[in-house]
Amino acid sequence: MNTSRDKLSEILQDWRVKPPSDPGFRAAVWRRIGQQGEATWSAYLRAHTAAWAVAAVLTFSVAGVAGRALAQARVEADRETMVVSYLVELDPRAQAILKQ
Amino acid sequence: MKHLLRTLFGLGAAAAAIGFMCYHLNSAPELHAAVRKGDAMAWLRTDFNLDERQFAEIQRLHENYAPSCEEHCRMIQEAIQARDALRKTNGDDLVAAAEAERTLQQLRATCESAITTHVYQVAAVMSPADGKRYLALVLPKIADFDHQVAPDLKLESRHQH
Repeated sequence: MNTSRDKLSEILQDWRVKPPSDPGFRAAVWRRIGQQGEATWSAYLRAHTAAWAVAAVLTFSVAGVAGRALAQARVEADRETMVVSYLVELDPRAQAILKQ
Repeated sequence: MKHLLRTLFGLGAAAAAIGFMCYHLNSAPELHAAVRKGDAMAWLRTDFNLDERQFAEIQRLHENYAPSCEEHCRMIQEAIQARDALRKTNGDDLVAAAEAERTLQQLRATCESAITTHVYQVAAVMSPADGKRYLALVLPKIADFDHQVAPDLKLESRHQH
């Protein structure tokens, strides 16, 4: 029993692996790492689909409402300016003030 | 962390694009252009959807109204000058001062009545919906001239007859 174990130890000690040199090994490793990164982002999105979907709906709604509100505020302000300008042209009371 | 930031950035960019699109869809480029040019007639044309016939008719109404506007303007000016002169030279004569003020207020009331009639004529040329909107915009300012229009005139520097 001990003799066979000793033999196995000797064989293992003498055993050497000499793989052939691969010049593309490093590039292949980095390529695999890169592919793994891309897959991870999509995996990340898949894993958090519900949370990001809610965030997207809320963010897009706020952005849409804000854009619309800004535009309407500007339209109202410009309209107010033009009403005053128009009435100044029409209203003799305004003309009298301007001529003073 | 990198994925979170990347996703946030994407979400932010998409939200900015949506916000810009909604702003663009709800803005009124022709109105803004009229404001930049200070062209009240261009504003009237674009904001109340006037066609060529309506626009020409409103221009004609304005031209017909202009002489009476000038006449009212001259009379109000004279009344203001008379009142101010009276205040300077004879400040103690309260009866004369009240009479001068009453004359001025009567002229202003006549003027308000004339301009109100004019804007109703203008509104009648527009489509019913646009005419209603036009009256809703201008009538309160005509009625409340001293508070709504007169303060803005301090910024005006030129006469526009």
